[in-house]
Amino acid sequence: MTMPATTTTYPPSQRLDPSPDLVTKRRIPLSRRVPMTLSRVSWYLLCSLLAVTMLVPLLWMISIALKPDSNILQLPPQLLPRTFQWSNFIRGPEQIQFPLLLANTVTVTALSVFGSVASSMLAGYAIARIRFPGRNFWFYLFTFSIFVPGIVTLIPIQRMFFAMHLIDTWFPLILPSFFGNPVFIFLARQYFTSIPRSIDESAMIDGAGHWKIFTRLMIPLTKPLWITMTIMAFQASWNDFLNPLVYLNSESKYTLSLGMANFMGGLNEATPQFNYYMASNLLYMLPPLVLFFFAQRYFMMGLGTLGVSQK
Amino acid sequence: MEAFARPAGRGLSHRRRNTVTAYLFILPTIVGVTVFMVYPLISSAFHAFTKWDGLSPARWTGLDNFRYMLFDDPTFWPSLRATAYFVLLSVPSGIIFGLALAVLLNRVVPGVKLYRTIFYLPVVLPSIAVLTLWKYIYDPLYGLANQLLSDLRLPTSQWLQSPHMAMPAIVIIGVWGVGGSMIIFLAGLQNVPVEVYEAARTDGAGTVRMFFAITLPLITPIMLLQLVLGLVLAFQAFNQVAVLTNGGPGTSTTLFMYKIYSDAFGSYPNLGLATAEALILFVIIMIITGVTLKTSSMWVFEETK
Repeated sequence: MTMPATTTTYPPSQRLDPSPDLVTKRRIPLSRRVPMTLSRVSWYLLCSLLAVTMLVPLLWMISIALKPDSNILQLPPQLLPRTFQWSNFIRGPEQIQFPLLLANTVTVTALSVFGSVASSMLAGYAIARIRFPGRNFWFYLFTFSIFVPGIVTLIPIQRMFFAMHLIDTWFPLILPSFFGNPVFIFLARQYFTSIPRSIDESAMIDGAGHWKIFTRLMIPLTKPLWITMTIMAFQASWNDFLNPLVYLNSESKYTLSLGMANFMGGLNEATPQFNYYMASNLLYMLPPLVLFFFAQRYFMMGLGTLGVSQK
Repeated sequence: MEAFARPAGRGLSHRRRNTVTAYLFILPTIVGVTVFMVYPLISSAFHAFTKWDGLSPARWTGLDNFRYMLFDDPTFWPSLRATAYFVLLSVPSGIIFGLALAVLLNRVVPGVKLYRTIFYLPVVLPSIAVLTLWKYIYDPLYGLANQLLSDLRLPTSQWLQSPHMAMPAIVIIGVWGVGGSMIIFLAGLQNVPVEVYEAARTDGAGTVRMFFAITLPLITPIMLLQLVLGLVLAFQAFNQVAVLTNGGPGTSTTLFMYKIYSDAFGSYPNLGLATAEALILFVIIMIITGVTLKTSSMWVFEETK
């Protein structure tokens, strides 16, 4: 069974750029335009049904977030709130000092995003575009560390921070990101390799060093790359639960993930503040959602590229 | 390009200067990989053979930790079994549902982007937000799950409080977030050249035939990637158990990661045992991904270039 070569190659500078829409710019076969066994109507019906199923948990969450207190323990539970109690969005967050936890989370996230993107961009650039002894060795070592499960390193690292008296501070959550993220370095190397050499050769002849080439030429050229890395790093840090759980003790230093898990864990029939909880949870989801809608094309492709670029 | 001019004539040769610059650029990462990977690996490899509570110095005890795990630890084998069950349920369901959605949404019709966005949405949400929401959904009395089931006259369940349903309930949450796998498959499907389908159609192949004869073989490389990623991630699942069940009821959801965490950071820290377990997990992951990659040549379709 032989097939013609199939890889679609985008111009290198667009490799991570999702804008050439994966489908619409290509010739569409009849078979894909008119579904064969399903008529178009039943395709829409099926997709809508599935989409509604996916959305039901979220809609229900919004409904609880708006329910009045008296509605919460009602049996059988009601799908829709009797009246809309908007104050849940004020009183809920108050319960866990949401503004404080938000400030903590924003601080931790902002610093670790900056740290991991900056350090990984530098390493990716050096490995891809500077010829120096040892570069393959370091690249393989960085790549290898992708495969070491976090739990194997977590215990010694926790002891290390313990010995440095940094438990119950944010340093363990922030510091490691300034020392390069192996996945990001891998992505960055791929991307930097695809940029034509002539670009920096001409800058080099004009006397520019690597730092200048990196900051003035490469950063503007690699916008899709570092936007993707920023999104991934933001998500990882915003969602991180295990590290805050291991390193933070005082509630005033908690991040939102920890605060929310704690809040939910404390709820039961005696303190049925599920409406407060869901209102706060919606606020916790909001920043990643807003980011998603603004950076949607990068979001969708971040994963997509990883899948395709292996060819 | 005048702006890039640099003072001429530094003492170093061009090559030398390049090497210095390169090492300055990767210095943070070298420090990182040493301090946060090489050192912890060596430390773990040593401490797995010690009795170590993290406060008093570690004491060499040889294979004691491993002997305890294999023969005396009441939760070691149950947690391995729970992990295997979780992996066997969650990895295939992620691949099957992800591929099914991708095939469904690999069309050019108005609105398809909206559907893709909706299916991808749960992937964007923070895991803790999602898990706590589902914890409430699974509440036997006040939760949405039982409410919908009883509205449909279907049998209800104790969900997370039932030893039989707790694990499937956790896996269902993963299926809800199958959009990530869908996106990777979608990218793969769109790389299948349309000419192949056209040729097959002229030869009279139907949709089903084309899926199994063309689509499926051509996306096996993507499937391998999904399989390996899925395995590595599933073996390290932790948040679900920490938020939803604390390993219970009984040991039905004590995933191995959770057991390691409890042994290391629980009320009676046993760091020697926990590092030994972490190494075991590492070895299991290496063996399983290794076997997957080795045997993949039997089913992964190689393009002939």
